[in-house]
Amino acid sequence: MPDMRFAPPNPLRIADRASGLNAVSVRSYNERLVLSLLLQSKDITRLEIGERTGLSAQTVSVIVRSLEQEGLIAKGEAQRGRVGPPTVPLSLNPEGAYSVGISVGHRQVEVVLVDFVGTVRSHAVLPFSATAQDTNHPQFMSAIAKAISDLPQHLHSRIAGIGLALPEDKAELELTPRAARERFDALQDEVEREIGYPVYVQNDIAAAAGGESMFGVAKNLSDYLFFYLGARLHSRLILNHQIYNTAAAVSYDVGIMRLEQQILKQGTQTSALWERGADWPSFGEAEIEWQRELVEQMRSSISALKQFVPISSVVLSSYAPHSVCKAICRDLEQAVPDIAAVAGNIEHSPKAVGAGSLPFSSRFMVG
Amino acid sequence: MRSVLCYGDSNTHGQVPGGTPLERYGPAERWPGVMARELGAGWHVIEEGLSGRTTVRDDPIEGAHKNGRTYLRPCLQSHAVLDLVIIMLGTNDLKARFNQPASEVAMAMGCLVYDIKELKPGPRGSVPEIMIVSPPPMLDDIKEWRSIFAGAPAKSRQLALEFEIIADSLEVHFFDAGSVVSCDPLDGFHINGQAHASLGRALAREVEAIGWADDR
Repeated sequence: MPDMRFAPPNPLRIADRASGLNAVSVRSYNERLVLSLLLQSKDITRLEIGERTGLSAQTVSVIVRSLEQEGLIAKGEAQRGRVGPPTVPLSLNPEGAYSVGISVGHRQVEVVLVDFVGTVRSHAVLPFSATAQDTNHPQFMSAIAKAISDLPQHLHSRIAGIGLALPEDKAELELTPRAARERFDALQDEVEREIGYPVYVQNDIAAAAGGESMFGVAKNLSDYLFFYLGARLHSRLILNHQIYNTAAAVSYDVGIMRLEQQILKQGTQTSALWERGADWPSFGEAEIEWQRELVEQMRSSISALKQFVPISSVVLSSYAPHSVCKAICRDLEQAVPDIAAVAGNIEHSPKAVGAGSLPFSSRFMVG
Repeated sequence: MRSVLCYGDSNTHGQVPGGTPLERYGPAERWPGVMARELGAGWHVIEEGLSGRTTVRDDPIEGAHKNGRTYLRPCLQSHAVLDLVIIMLGTNDLKARFNQPASEVAMAMGCLVYDIKELKPGPRGSVPEIMIVSPPPMLDDIKEWRSIFAGAPAKSRQLALEFEIIADSLEVHFFDAGSVVSCDPLDGFHINGQAHASLGRALAREVEAIGWADDR
């Protein structure tokens, strides 16, 4: 029997260093653990990584070196403290990996290119064609191809994949053009075949929550109730960093579509409601009434949940203007005094950015 | 007080390029001395550099005492308790008389790591931190040494990758000395005073980066 200590070494992490990102299969649990930690906190030292993961200094050293050579993490400037040796802070390298995030809503498709820390590098909105027969599928594919070509050619090997956020909510699906809806099941295969990167699919609300957990205000929250304010109001529960995902989740008609109806009754223009990144004009009485209904629904969801789970943090994510979300959070905190409600800081396209987080979480992070 | 053992060959001994083993840089100029100064009073730095030292091979010409493996055990026990062992070896294994590829030298490096892990000369009988340092590659022109080191310069350029693979699979620290210093053209495989200074500083930073809990 040969002494297995002296079997040929297995150059797992070093093998294909020159060719961009390593293959999916070789990403060890410990590497994911270190990357997940760096996602939560930037500028931490190897010592802190060891303390917080329980990994030995040598294991941390090996992992950090290999991630650094792979370009996924970067060393900062050495910091000289009052006592002790200088410390070298480590962070994720924003340019280490990229992904494309796609969200399909009932009015439009959004395509974003995000970097490793969630910064949106390019953003495109594609309206659904009014007639169901014309599915504008070619435009959809070319929008994805465009997002990729926005990245310089030499960085294409750093694209971790494509995330696709699809609606599953029954009421919301009703609003989507039928021809588009029929394509949803085939989208993953089609995009993978035509664009050539692995595609990761998730429910759109869960994806938006994942985006806030990975890049946004929920980074350091292990437990929270997530609300997504879209055409309707959706919610998800996150416990111990895990999103409880179900297609059977109930949504409520107190969303932006409801507001639109109220405003139309007033006879005012509503187009600003569906724009991305634009501030809303004041919609007067209709908006006040809507917000009251919305907060009441959120309050009732929280109190129903509180019978089972202690909830102290609420995150509200939406493409609605940040000021509107903040006002809703303020009202909610007044209605439920023992919770902290925060407006998500992934503005404009939380579902698409959340979709962009999927390839990262699948390939680099612990589940 | 922490202790680090610097286990190496003539480039740890501080042999002057183009000179003999008796021509040596002063204690403060050699890389372990530079590293000691950089690390400060909290560290005790032990120099263990022998000219001609190999990883695991008795040298049929220079003698069995050049074998880095047989001397490592008594050396570790003499200097225990050790918090860190830095090993920079490999160049002498590339002599024509041993006829070894770089990958075999790396395997031998792995042997030394196993020996340290077995002996556990660390605090309270633990395995100390271990750092493999790949020596700077030899230059192509190695003067009158070209027969002794026939074929060695090309192999020496492969040592860094082979050592890193071993360090990786055995989960120990690794540093490529070739990333900060080059050999001196006077003989093509020894490092000069300036290189000792750069290497000592770079290794001090590497030692600090390991992270030592009670330093803070």
